[in-house]
Amino acid sequence: MKKLLLSIICSLTAVFAFGQGKVTFSPASFTAEDEVTITLDITGTPLVGQTAIYVWAFSNDGVGGGKDATTNGQWGASSESAKMTLVSANIFQFKFVATTLFGQSPAELINFGFLAKTKDGSKQSQDFKPFKFDPLVFTPSQFRVFPAKFDYTDMATVYFHQDLATDINLQRMYNVKVNLTFYNEGGIAVGSKTAIVAKKESTVLYSYAFIPERVITIPAGTKLGKFTYQFTGSVKDANGQDVTTSGPVNEVVYTVFN
Amino acid sequence: MKNLKYLILAICMISLWGCKPEKFAPITTDINVVKQMQGTWALSKVTQIDQDASTKGFPYKQVDITSVYPYTELVFALVGDGQGNPTTFTITPGNSPKIVDLTSGTWSVNDPMAPTTIELKNGTVVNTLSVGSYLGLKSGVLTIKKDKKLNGKVLLSYQYEFTKK
Repeated sequence: MKKLLLSIICSLTAVFAFGQGKVTFSPASFTAEDEVTITLDITGTPLVGQTAIYVWAFSNDGVGGGKDATTNGQWGASSESAKMTLVSANIFQFKFVATTLFGQSPAELINFGFLAKTKDGSKQSQDFKPFKFDPLVFTPSQFRVFPAKFDYTDMATVYFHQDLATDINLQRMYNVKVNLTFYNEGGIAVGSKTAIVAKKESTVLYSYAFIPERVITIPAGTKLGKFTYQFTGSVKDANGQDVTTSGPVNEVVYTVFN
Repeated sequence: MKNLKYLILAICMISLWGCKPEKFAPITTDINVVKQMQGTWALSKVTQIDQDASTKGFPYKQVDITSVYPYTELVFALVGDGQGNPTTFTITPGNSPKIVDLTSGTWSVNDPMAPTTIELKNGTVVNTLSVGSYLGLKSGVLTIKKDKKLNGKVLLSYQYEFTKK
C-alpha cells in the first residue's frame, strides 16, 4: 500500500513538473524600458510539437492597473506580431519592450505574465506569471542636475543637497558658490566662471540655474560637449576663521537631441 | 377579425416608416481657435518639464524658470489676414533667452478649428511647437509647448504661457 501511494505521488510530481514548460529571460532582470527576450520551452505543455505559437501577455497581474498586450489580438485569432520565433524543436523566443508591449509608462508597470497559445486558441500553455520589473528607482544624492537630459542651449540647474552630504566640511559649508567650466565637443575647455553665488532654496538646498551662453561667451561655431560644476564655500576653522572648502567636480555630458 | 389583422399590420408599417434619424442642431457654435490665437502676446511663465522623470515616476519633474532670466520681456505677435488665416509672426525677445530659432516669418497650424501644432517658418528654417489647452484663449492666455526628442522620445519640454497684450 505504501509503495503504491509512493508511486502515485512520484507519478503526479513527475507529471506536474513535466507539464510546467520552462521560461528564461535575457537579461535575467530588466526594467520596463529594457528590451527583453523570452525563451520558452514548450516541452511538457499541451503545445508540445507545435511549430507556430503566439504570446498572450498581460501586465500587473493581481496588483491592479493591468492591460492586455497590444500585440495580443483576438483569442481566436492571435495577431501576427505576437508570433514567437521558432529557435529549435519546442523552443521559442519573443522579444519585447514592456512599455511598448503594454502601452504603459514605466511608473505604471509592476509585473507581467503571459501564456503561449496556438493562433486559434485551441491549445494553450498555463500562465507564466508574475514576473516583476526592476523598479526605475530615483536615488537621492548630494549633487544633482535638472533636467536629466538637455543640450547646451537648454537651461540647466545644478543642486547641492547639503542634508545628503557625507563630508563634514560640506555639511557645515556656508556662503555657497558654484564654479562652472564648459568644454567643446573635443573635450577642450572653452570658458569658465567661478564663485557664482548659489541660490539658497532652503536651509539644506542650494542651486544655480543657467544657460551656457549667458555664463560664458561661446566661441563662434563651437558646440559644447559637456560642462563641470563644483560647489564651494566656507567653513570655520578651530580659531573661528573662515576657511575655503569645496565639493568634488561633477561632470555633465550634453545630450544631442535629434 | 381579418380586418383587425390588416389594421395591426398597417399600424406596424406606419410605425416603422415613422422611425427616422432626427437631425439635432449643434450644441454650440464652432469656435475658430486659430483666430483666437492671433494678436500680441507677452510671455508670462516658462516651465521646464523633465518628461523622462515624469514617465519614470521620479521626483523633480518640472521647474518654473521664469525668473531665472528676463523671459517676460519676450513678445510674440501672431498676425492673420482679413479672413482670420495665419500670415506672419514676429518674436521680440528683449533680454529674454530665445525660445525658438526664428524671430520673424510666416506661421501656420495643422487644423484651423482644432490646432495641435503651430509651425513657424522662415526660408528653410522651420520651428514646430505644440498648442496647449484652448480654455485659456478666451481669457487671454495662450499656452504653447516645445518638445526636445531623442530617437522619437520626448525627454524635455518647455511650456510657455503668454498673456494677451
